[in-house]
Amino acid sequence: MNEEEKKSIKERILEKIKSNQVKMRPKIYFLLKTVFIIAGVIFFLFLTAFLVSFIHFHLRVSGLWYLPSFGLKVFGIYLRSLPWLLILSILFLILILEILSKKFSFVWKRPLIYSLLAIVFIIILGTFIFEKISIHQRLLLEAQTGKMPPPFSPIYQRFGMPKFKDFHRGMVEKITEDGFLLRELSGEQFNVIPSKEIKFLFEKIKEGDSVVVVGKREDSKILAIAIRKIDDRFRIFERRIHGFPGLK
Amino acid sequence: MREESIQKTDEEIAKLVQSGKVDFFEILIERYEEKIKRYSRKFLSNHRDIEDVVQEVFLKAYKNIQSFDPKKKFSSWLYRIAHNELVNLLKKKSHFSFIDLDVFLPYLSHDEHLEEKIDRQKMQKIIDQCLDKLEPKYREPIILYFFENLSYQEISDILEIPVSTVGVRIKRAKEKIKNFCQKLGYKYE
Repeated sequence: MNEEEKKSIKERILEKIKSNQVKMRPKIYFLLKTVFIIAGVIFFLFLTAFLVSFIHFHLRVSGLWYLPSFGLKVFGIYLRSLPWLLILSILFLILILEILSKKFSFVWKRPLIYSLLAIVFIIILGTFIFEKISIHQRLLLEAQTGKMPPPFSPIYQRFGMPKFKDFHRGMVEKITEDGFLLRELSGEQFNVIPSKEIKFLFEKIKEGDSVVVVGKREDSKILAIAIRKIDDRFRIFERRIHGFPGLK
Repeated sequence: MREESIQKTDEEIAKLVQSGKVDFFEILIERYEEKIKRYSRKFLSNHRDIEDVVQEVFLKAYKNIQSFDPKKKFSSWLYRIAHNELVNLLKKKSHFSFIDLDVFLPYLSHDEHLEEKIDRQKMQKIIDQCLDKLEPKYREPIILYFFENLSYQEISDILEIPVSTVGVRIKRAKEKIKNFCQKLGYKYE
């Protein structure tokens, strides 16, 4: 046993304190730590609400939002087309929020389900506010007009104008004999030919309508197995031509 | 210093240390060294590991003493540091579960005073025989309650879990102990 081991725990601790090997942290350190945690919680709540509203915007713009109404036959396409990376990022952010908020006694004194519900409620509220101020329409337009800085612009463009294999969203440009001409957000044009089963739906569609189409693509043809007219609440095509009204 | 501190509470001494009278920290070590050692012994068997944990607990307590609120109990704050140290050590040794569903849902509060009717000494003896069979998440509240004589509220502050969860864990731990003891042939009443 060496000299150090012979000493009592108390002696060893006091020796470390007296020789300044261990220093007392100042009060300001703990104050700043609390401030950083609060700021972190606010930032992550803001970021999560922003991402949730972005997913909602992406689903609406891409037309994916309307896919579940086509029933089980397109459910696989719907699942494959969801922005899973963003969804997983949101779940990860909620986990971080839960860990950060557990630093406060008013959170851990109650069962976890309450804080989780409170976090989800605040995120939904934030999402609602972001939608009310049309933030993503404005940002997408900025990306399209080149006003957004380079690292963010391609991301916005990619999510704002997505491309899917068997799923298309666009505007009916011209009614033809066997179907209609569809112009996608990217500017590409396709000849949509509806299958016999959905021929009756095709009769209700007129030029200028926003539609979502599900079907296999063969060169410039889409053999549609499902078509749905949608309410273009974001006026995507109109904005692409005239810009977003109210955005200076 | 010694005469001066005899009448003082832990919280008053901690306040003196916070104000710069660092020599008073010695009193806190004297008051809690054995308790923290006893607490650590319930999780660790290696003498060297126990000594290291105790030393680390007091060094961390000194380092972070400015974060202690003297209106709260010093013992709960110090046990919280010990809990964190032990959890970190057990995680390294892979004896600690990260998933904890007990704190997720609300429970009906379990009556703490019912436990007082049971002879604590008798209970300590029974628990001690089967303690090593319990998972740490059940072992900890039962040690704090039966061996360190802390209340549900204090245990809740140390483990940072709701009071109702403390009650549920103690209840479940006793049920598990009862099963273990019966299997081993010990008498549990």
